[in-house]
Amino acid sequence: MRIVDRLRPAVINGLRELRANKVRSLLSMSGIILGVASLVAMVTVVQGMVGNFRQFVDAMGGIEKITVTREPLPREQEHLAELSEGLTMRDVARIRTTVPLIANISPEVRVGFEKLANDDRETLTYVTGVAADYLPVAKRWVDPGHGRFISDLDVHNMTDVVVLGAAVVADLFPPNEDPVGRVIKLRGRAYTVVGVLNNIEGSGFQISSARGRGPGGSGSSWRYRNYGAYIPVTTALTKFLGSDRLSGLGLRVGNPQQLQDAVDQTERALLQSHKGLRDFGITTNEQTLEDFRRTESAFKLSLGGVAGISLFVGGIGIMNVMLASINERIREIGVRKAVGARGSDLFLQFLAEAAVVSFVGGVLGLVVSLGIVTLMNLVLAAAVPTSAASMLDPQIMAMGLGFSVVIGLVAGVYPAMRAARLDPIEALRHE
Amino acid sequence: MASLISIRGLRKTYRMGDEDVHALDGVDLDFEKGEFVAILGPSGSGKSTLMHILGFMDRPSAGSILFEGHEVAALDPDRRAWYRSNRVGFVFQAFNLLPRLTVLENVALPLIYREDSDPARNAEAARAALERVGMGHRLDHRPGQLSGGERQRVAVARAIVGRPAIIFADEPTGNLDVRNVDRVLDLLGSLISEGITVVLVTHDLSVAERAHRVIAMRAGRVQEDRRR
Repeated sequence: MRIVDRLRPAVINGLRELRANKVRSLLSMSGIILGVASLVAMVTVVQGMVGNFRQFVDAMGGIEKITVTREPLPREQEHLAELSEGLTMRDVARIRTTVPLIANISPEVRVGFEKLANDDRETLTYVTGVAADYLPVAKRWVDPGHGRFISDLDVHNMTDVVVLGAAVVADLFPPNEDPVGRVIKLRGRAYTVVGVLNNIEGSGFQISSARGRGPGGSGSSWRYRNYGAYIPVTTALTKFLGSDRLSGLGLRVGNPQQLQDAVDQTERALLQSHKGLRDFGITTNEQTLEDFRRTESAFKLSLGGVAGISLFVGGIGIMNVMLASINERIREIGVRKAVGARGSDLFLQFLAEAAVVSFVGGVLGLVVSLGIVTLMNLVLAAAVPTSAASMLDPQIMAMGLGFSVVIGLVAGVYPAMRAARLDPIEALRHE
Repeated sequence: MASLISIRGLRKTYRMGDEDVHALDGVDLDFEKGEFVAILGPSGSGKSTLMHILGFMDRPSAGSILFEGHEVAALDPDRRAWYRSNRVGFVFQAFNLLPRLTVLENVALPLIYREDSDPARNAEAARAALERVGMGHRLDHRPGQLSGGERQRVAVARAIVGRPAIIFADEPTGNLDVRNVDRVLDLLGSLISEGITVVLVTHDLSVAERAHRVIAMRAGRVQEDRRR
């Protein structure tokens, strides 16, 4: 007899037993229900977190970004402070010629919050001095059809041009008016708008990290990032700061695999041009990424542990109810054997019954997990409006169901073996 | 003509504590095709043990059993299950119908464990068997909805559904009222016309008297083998 033909009556029988003992079955299933629900909800939420975090890291320039910042000299070099020149455009040239692993170098000068005015419209925004490489390093681009970015020529000539964030344009210009070519006022001087940066849509998890927050702190990071005005770095240095010291450098590594080499080489190049003075700091996003990975695995471990324990307890519950059910049905087992059932027929019958119970439990668990994920999305959306909703993945649901059936099968083996081994004569005598 | 069943020197010994109990102590018997036999004896006489061994539910400790010309005394459990499913039927004192199954499903039960099981054919055979015992009108009832007599007739239908060579009826009337005793015994007796050997196992002489041959057992041996 084909295995399918033997399974079908076994499964039908399992469903019948389940229907006959609804309350008991539901109780015995509760472990599986909770286990599958927490498993599926856990994987879904962690996956959502990972997805949100990827966007967040990208917003910080991705894994291939190296940030060079101005730092006070370490204690043992403090007496040499007068020799420190800080980060300058000379460092930019130096890195460009000596560290080929660095694909883009973006010198940056933070000018600060400035008032921008277009006739009677005005807005307050953060002004940064940058060069052409700012775009690839910051992973931004100029809105297609809306001009260009700061060019090498602008930097060379210290031109009075400005590139605006989309939110600034909205503040300064009436809708449907093309800002490119218009002249705005910045500290009383005329700047020509040459381009508009891409509008960053609201996506990405707001992760409380000092590095992730922009000025204004509490605001959503993408909204802040749509503000900002960018002028040539040389213009910022000479016309605003009157100094040649940059605020920092943003570097992009061509190949993220060589990140550490690039960091080391950059450090050596800078130490050399700074006469050995360590007046700078180099950071990467790797640490943030590492922090997050640790958080993620902690989440997975703790929630996975909860799911694992629930599933284990669920398995015990099913084994328990199967043993009870077999005890109640010893006579049935005897009758089935008397009319020709082999041990393997009964083994299959009770194994299928356990699998049916746990499968139904698994399905109920999926329903519960749907509720949990929906609830978590609601709570999360209320707390952090920018977070993307977690979605139930059919693959995860299938995995949860598969898990429950496997647990049922494992839990069913021992009771089914007991049933299969019962002596028919003894079983028929059982009261 | 060879007998349906031929047993020689059949012994069954149980170990009870330190003592060996001889449930069967050298039994020689022959059963013919289409016989209506009663095995009579008090409890402990070995009649139930004999029935269990002849019904392929148990194995003898010693001796030989020829069933339809084949030696079957030492078969493994799966082969014995095959014989139970294909060549033997049982009727029990307590009916032993499965309460969750319908009458039709109960009767079809022996067939689902066969190699060539087919749901449609099983149902047809079960329906025919139920017609044969006069229960064709209760196919979709549950056993709990039937009277004792009706249940035992359903049990008889289950015993004959697989066209067995022999049926063992273990105190089939023990739980029935007088009216139904006659009816069930008549039904069992009528099966021999279909070539089925019917073996009644009972301690009740009045029941045994309905058979055409009475084998009286005592202390694991055949005390008397009388044909009428």
